[in-house]
Parts: sequence; structure tokens; C-alpha cells
Amino acid sequence: MTKPVELPQGTLEMLILKAVSLGSLHGYGILLRIQQISGERLEILQGSFYTAIYRLERRGWVKGQWGESENNRRARFYSLTSAGARQLKAETAKWIDMAAVVAGILDKKTDNI
Amino acid sequence: MSRLGAIHKLWRSIAPRTHSDVEEEFRSTLDSYQEDLIRQGLPEEEAYRKARIDLGRPAFQNEAYRKAIGLRLFEELGGDIRYGLRALRRNPSFTAVAVISLALGIGATTAMFSLIYAVLLHPFPYAGADRIMNPVMINPQFPNEYQYFTRSKAQLDDLRSATPVDSVLGFSGRHMEITADGLPEDIYVTYLTENAESFLGVRPLLGRNIEPSDAEKGGHSVAVLNYRFWQRYFGADLHVIGRTLEMDHTPYTIIGVMPRSFAFNDINGVGDVYLPASLIRAVANGPPAYVPWIKLRPQVTVAAANALLEPLVLEGMKQHSGATAWHLALQPIIEPYQQDLGRTFALLLAGVILLLIIGCANCSILLLARGRTRQHELAIRMAIGASRWRIMRQLLVEALVISCVGAAFGVAASYWLARLPLLLSPDSFPAESVIRINSTVLAFSVTLALLSGTLFGLAPALRLSRNDPARGLPGRQASPVLVPARHRWSILVAAQVTLTLLLLATAGTAIRGFLRLMQTPLGYDPTNVMQLGISLHTHDPAEWSRIQSREARTEYIEQIREKIASVPGVSTVAVGIDATPPVADGQSSFIIDGSSDSEELRARLMLVDQHYFAALGIPLLQGRAWNADENNRGDFIAIVNRAFATRYLSLSNALGRQLRVPDLLPHNRYQAVSAQSVAWRHIIGVVGDARNDGVDQPVEPAIYVPYTASLPAFAQFLVRTQGDPLMSLHSIRAAIASVASDQQISNSASDFNGTFTLSQAIERDAQYSRQRLFSMLFGVFSAMALGLALVGIFSLVAFSVAQRTTEFGIRLALGAPRAHILWIAARIALVSVAAGIVIGLACDTFLGAVLAHWMQNAFAVSSLFASAVLLAFSALLACLLPARRAVVVPPAEALRNE
Repeated sequence: MTKPVELPQGTLEMLILKAVSLGSLHGYGILLRIQQISGERLEILQGSFYTAIYRLERRGWVKGQWGESENNRRARFYSLTSAGARQLKAETAKWIDMAAVVAGILDKKTDNI
Repeated sequence: MSRLGAIHKLWRSIAPRTHSDVEEEFRSTLDSYQEDLIRQGLPEEEAYRKARIDLGRPAFQNEAYRKAIGLRLFEELGGDIRYGLRALRRNPSFTAVAVISLALGIGATTAMFSLIYAVLLHPFPYAGADRIMNPVMINPQFPNEYQYFTRSKAQLDDLRSATPVDSVLGFSGRHMEITADGLPEDIYVTYLTENAESFLGVRPLLGRNIEPSDAEKGGHSVAVLNYRFWQRYFGADLHVIGRTLEMDHTPYTIIGVMPRSFAFNDINGVGDVYLPASLIRAVANGPPAYVPWIKLRPQVTVAAANALLEPLVLEGMKQHSGATAWHLALQPIIEPYQQDLGRTFALLLAGVILLLIIGCANCSILLLARGRTRQHELAIRMAIGASRWRIMRQLLVEALVISCVGAAFGVAASYWLARLPLLLSPDSFPAESVIRINSTVLAFSVTLALLSGTLFGLAPALRLSRNDPARGLPGRQASPVLVPARHRWSILVAAQVTLTLLLLATAGTAIRGFLRLMQTPLGYDPTNVMQLGISLHTHDPAEWSRIQSREARTEYIEQIREKIASVPGVSTVAVGIDATPPVADGQSSFIIDGSSDSEELRARLMLVDQHYFAALGIPLLQGRAWNADENNRGDFIAIVNRAFATRYLSLSNALGRQLRVPDLLPHNRYQAVSAQSVAWRHIIGVVGDARNDGVDQPVEPAIYVPYTASLPAFAQFLVRTQGDPLMSLHSIRAAIASVASDQQISNSASDFNGTFTLSQAIERDAQYSRQRLFSMLFGVFSAMALGLALVGIFSLVAFSVAQRTTEFGIRLALGAPRAHILWIAARIALVSVAAGIVIGLACDTFLGAVLAHWMQNAFAVSSLFASAVLLAFSALLACLLPARRAVVVPPAEALRNE
């Protein structure tokens, strides 16, 4: 079994944006999708999950709209706004960049330094 | 409709979601999760529990939402403020004392700041005012006596083309009269070169300013009005543009009205009316001359400009007189005020800041005292989980609420307070500084409110939030004999008393100095004497030719003098040329017989007639005054004052010596001098010393010479009457009109050549008005400070007595003598008051020398002592009055309180 990974601060927002970018989802759906994509490896702190969504909505990166869920329940669906799309793109680039740099440093052998 | 829709949409986008909306969403998530869990095989009850453990409870979700979008702090603060306001309303006496304490301090400080802002930081309405310079000539031998000089139109152009110069304004003033109807009314006209609009850059209130096009065809007959003149003469008529104003029988079309803040200018008098310079008609010899104002280019230093412009200016000088040794100095136009005012303001600002600190200390004491009654409440809040930060924030917010309410009152009060110095000492400030509460001043007072709120709120907040709930909660009072946390109060009270003593002693010094000044013998009698200035008609060629000769002019002035003397109620009339005490104009050099030519002797030159000494009550000590014939001739005689005789001769053999005054040569083309004006003059008399260099300065040596020796185009009459001289003004004007129907008198009381009583002249004296300003303002400040300190002491003792009722009851029941109870009740403040007075005395003795220097006044030990006694006595009262309540409590009732 794969080991669960703990999320660094601030990355939850990025993941939510990514999840929503694939199609509009309600809150629980976002939670499920992130877990699904990560192969069940991410343990999302439930409490902070909605806080992150509220913050994204406040900033105008996602937009919430009431609709009908798959099991005919009223639910609030979130979709990515154009500002959110830009943000996701920027964050992704930054993240990959940073990860590469950090990984590069950590990979260095002692005699190469 | 569409606009409403847009607003609605905007609101939707920024408004927070409603509680039910947030909760419903969360519930739907919760339900989905719960269903999933049941599907995975959990029993329903277990699933319900697990869902809520993992995701949280719906009831808390709203709080999470508001915290996430940053509303929570806002809402809590709103709650704190509401709670603070409620608490203030519940304690009206506490609130009133605290708010008034702060309102006084903040109001006084704001007033002083708006005054400094208006007078020193932004006194002039002109564009680039900091680059506008007054060029003056300085004689290196007497660097403090600078002189303004004039330039011809061509010379102005030379200045304009110099590299450091951005632009040059030339102006020239003269008296005219309004010739429409009735008695001729004097009006002061300022001619401005036609670049006035762009140079000054002041937007007119109505119409337009003088523009280059007004110079066409020898100048358009247009006039721009000064605000005050517009109000006085035209009753602030908004439709005045296009109307006609007739001056000296010439009609002028009114094209503009300047705003109130425009009072051009302080150098040769504020003009009632501004005219294009091209209208100046040369009447006597020579072209029109202008006083220049030079606006430097940005980034040009004054020193560099001085060096570049000096040769240019001096070259022009040589044509007029041999003033080669003089230097040019460009003075920023604020400079004449800055020298004196900077010091005045520093002192006054220090005074109000002390007042503010005392007010803050008061609030601290009140909050601490009240905090003791709130311990119970705070302990409960802490016990149910409020953090220390939360409690501190609550207390600080309450303090800030007090300070903001205080600031609101203070700013309102400062609106009037700031005018007080201008009323008390009008001549010390630029005429153009207008006090108004603007955004800078408001920002200042809001900052002040926040600062002082934090300052006085912090100590109580720190102290009270440290409460241990375990100690504060059980019962109402853990032990009947509560030892009060005394040291913090003691420090505050002692500091208050120290600062109050400092202010009291300063006020005492100022008031003493002012009283001393009022009692100094003047050497003349100013009561019931009035100066009346007249300007001769130099601009009307026909009239001027009639009085151009010295003899004709003397006769004209003598005729008027005699007519005034015949008015009932007038006892003596004298003529003087700028010789009205307490400040006589100008130093002159002279030569005395037998002295070497090399050393330059200086004295005040007083051009007067033989009635001058009688009119002013100056005693003749030796010799005689000159007679009417000698007065008309003007030559060969002089009278000196006692200071002159003792400094340059000796009192016993002054009579009969001879002196010469080379400065009696004509300085301008309007001046008419006698044939032998600079010849040797016999000293025929010695008179007593009358103030001639200001009220508080020692009398300067003075030479009195018949005014006919050097006659300018103006003169002043000194009229002594039996009653109030201003009452006779109308009949005097009629008497003057009977000699020459169009001879106006100078109306303006602020004009050097105007009409005013000699008592008014004393009040206007710079030193006199400054001393009066200091003594009145510091009197007010220290009275406020004393009141605040007493209220602080009073409330401290009163609160502590109220707190310790039980203790006093027990003590009384156990047989403590009343005097002892009184002592322990009052002790809490008395000790710190005593300490404060001792520290204050020490500080004052140390600061005394500094203060004395700054106020130009001797620091008096006696006034310090008197202040200390006053303070000690009133502080004792403030302690004993509330302490008495401790003694009158019946023991049984006090114990029943338990």
C-alpha cells in the first residue's frame, strides 16, 4: 500500500483549482476527485477544506452556483473563473519550477557540490 | 433600472453569503459523505458521528466561513466598539470626565498644529511660494537693518533675463481716494506688473486676475478687488464684475475679486485694489519704480542666486546712490515671520503637548480605577475561554472609543481655539494665513486620537488583562481589606502633578513678564492720543504742483493742523513723520562736532514739530523747544533726548553742541528738503526719554529735527483729545475737508501711516503682543492642566474610597480615629502629589534658564513658588473632599455591604 502524503501549506487551494478546472463540481465532489486523482494518497484535513473553498470564492477564482447533484440533491457547484484559470496556470508553473529546483538540490551527491 | 441592477450585481459580488446558504451547502456535503459511509457498511448512527467528526459541525461552519473571508475580526471589533459605547453610556460621569480630559488636550494640540500649518508651513497662497524671494540690501556694518529697494521697469527686465530667475513680479503701492460721493475715502492701491496672474498663480474668487493683455495701449483701466475691500465697500456683491469704481476721478472697470486668503502684501501694505502697472503715471522726476519679488527657478539655491544677481542689482544702485559696500540678500518671503514665530510656536506646542499628556494620564487613572470594578466581569470572560489578547483588545477598543469621541469634540473646539492667537497678536502672523480645518489637520488629529488612545489605554489593558480568574471570581471580594495596586496610579498622579507644575510655572513667568511690561514707564503718555495719517496727492499733477514746493507743503500741513486744533475737544495737535511711539522709524548716522569722521554714530532721527513734546507729554529737561518760525525754516536746530545726551555728550554740556545728519538728503523724488538740511545744527534742548524701539527695549538715542527739514509726501498728526480720540474722528475729518475737500485720511488701522490711537499702537507692538499671547495662552493651558490634574486626583481618591468602604467600616468599628481613616483614604494620592511637586520643582529650576531664554523673560522663583503652593493646596482639597466620604460611612452600613 502507498504511503499517505501530507500537504504543504497553501497547496490545497491549488489542488482545488485543478479539480474544478476539469469540470464544475460540488464541495464533496471536489474532495472525492482530489482523493481519486492522487490515488487515495492525500489525507485532506477536512476542517480546512471548506475554508480553502470559501477563500477561493472570495477571491473570485472559483464561482459557486446552486444546482442539482447526481442523486437529485440540491448542491452548490463550483466552476473555475477566467481569473482562476490564470491563477492555476501561474501556480502550476511556479510549483513545477520550485519542485525541480528543490529536487535538483536534494539529488546532488556530496562529491558534486 | 439598469443602474439599480448594476448596483445589485455589484453588491452580490462583494456581499458575504448568508448564514443559511453556507449551512445548506455544508449540510448537503455532510449528507453525501454520510451516505457514502453507510454504503461502505457503517451503521447509520456510526456514519452520522464519523461524518461530523471528519468534516465538522454545521453550526460552526458559518464562523469558519466568516473567518475565511476575513470578516470575523471586523465583526468582533464591531462588537467591541458597541460594547465599549454601551459601557460608556452606562457610566456618564466617567465618560464625561474622560472625554473632556482628552477633548481639551487633543483640541489644543490640533489648534496649535493647524496654526503652525497655516502660518509656517503654508502661509502663502502663491504658486511656488517657497521659491519667491524678497530681495533686500544689507549694510555689512548693520546686518540686521535690511532695506527693500525698488527697480525700474527696464531693471525688472534685466532681472527676468538672469539665469537663476524664473520670473519677477514688480509692485508699487499708493494711496488714492474713492471720488464717487460723500467724504473722500482713502484707498490703498497696489500696482502689479501684468504677469501677476501667472506669477502669483492664485485663482480669483470672481472674474480674473491682471493679465499681460491689460498692458496694451498704455494699460487698460481695470481693477481687481481685495476680498476684504470687496466685502466692506461692495457688501460682497457677487455681480460686482463689470461695475465701475471711480478713484481719483478716473473710472476703473472691475474685472475680478481675489479670494480671502490673498492679502498681497506685507511689505508695503495690503492693497484694497490691484491695478495694472502700466497705469502708473510718472508725475515727479523719474520713471515708476517697483519693489521686486523674484521667483527662482527650481533647484537654485539662495546663495547661488545671491552671487549671480548681486552685480546686476548693485550696478543699478550706483546710478542712484553710492551704495557699493552693500550686499544683496534674497529672503524667502516667510523669513520675517519665521524668526520670531518658530520659537513662539515651539513653546506653545510644548505647552499643548504637556496638556495632552496630562489628559491621557487622567484617562489612564480613570480606566485603572474603573477596571477594579470590572475585575469580576473580566474574570468571568477569561474563565469561559477569552484569551488575554481578546481582553486586551476589548479594553484598548474602549480606550480608543473614548479618545475618538474626545477627538471629535477637540477638533470642533480647535476651530475656535486656533483663532485665538491670531486675535491676540494679529501683527505677528502673515496676513494671508487662513486657519482652516483641512484634511492634513484632520489626519493629524485622528492620528493623535489613536496615539493617545493607545497611550492611555495600554497600561490599564496590560494590567487588567493579567487578571487571574481564580482570584477575581470567588465571592465578590476575596478579602475585605484589599491592598490596591498602588504604584501605577502613583506614577501617573506624580507625573501629572509634575507636568502641571511645569505649565503653571511657565504661565506664572509669562504673566509676570507681561505685568512688568505693562508697568514699565513709557516716557510718554499714550492715553487719549491718536495718530491720523494723510497722504498727499502725488499722482494728480495739478494738485501735486500746488504743494510740490517745501514751503507750500509746510503751509498746507500747518493749515490742516490748525483746523484740527480748533475742533472742540482737541487739546493739542502735533505733526510727525513716522515718529509715533513706541517704535520710531529708522536709524540715521550723524556727525557730532569734535568727533572724528571715522567712527559712525547712529541715532533715531525724529522729524516732528514743536508741539510734539506737549502732545505726547514728553518733558523738556534742558533748554527750549523751537518756535513756529524755526519750525518753518527747518534748519540749524535740533533737540536730543536724554539717552543721546548721556551716550554721546554729557548731560551737563549738551546744550550748544553741534551735530550734522547727512541722511537728511532726499531719498526719493517726492521728498522736499530745506536748504541747509544737512548743515550743522545747534542742540537747543534736551527732552526726556520716550520709548522709540519698542515697548520693552531700552530707549535709543534720538535726534529731534523740525519735520520741514525733510518733507515726504505724507505726514501724521498726533491729536490729543479730552475724551476718547476716535469719538472726535468725524469732526476732525470735516475740519480737514474744510481745508482741502478731497484730502482723505488713511483709514486702515493696520497701516503704518493709518489712523489709530497710541494705546492701540502699544497693543500692536511685537513684544507686547507676544507677551500677551504667551501669558494668556499659557494661563489658559495651565488652568486646563490644573483642572485636569485635580479631576484625576479627585476621581482616584473617590474610586478607591468607594472600593474600600468595607475596609473603612471595619476600621471604624474597631475604633480607628477618624483622622487616621482620612489619612489612609487620602494617602493614595497625597504621597504622589508631594512627590510630583518635588520633582516638578527640580525640573523647573533646571528648565528655568532655557525657558527664560526662549520667552525672553526672566524666570521668576517667586512665581514658581506661588504655583507650587497653589497646586499643593488644590491637590490637598481634591484628596480630602472624596476622602471625607470614607469617614462619614456608618460602620454598620459599610459592613452590611459584605
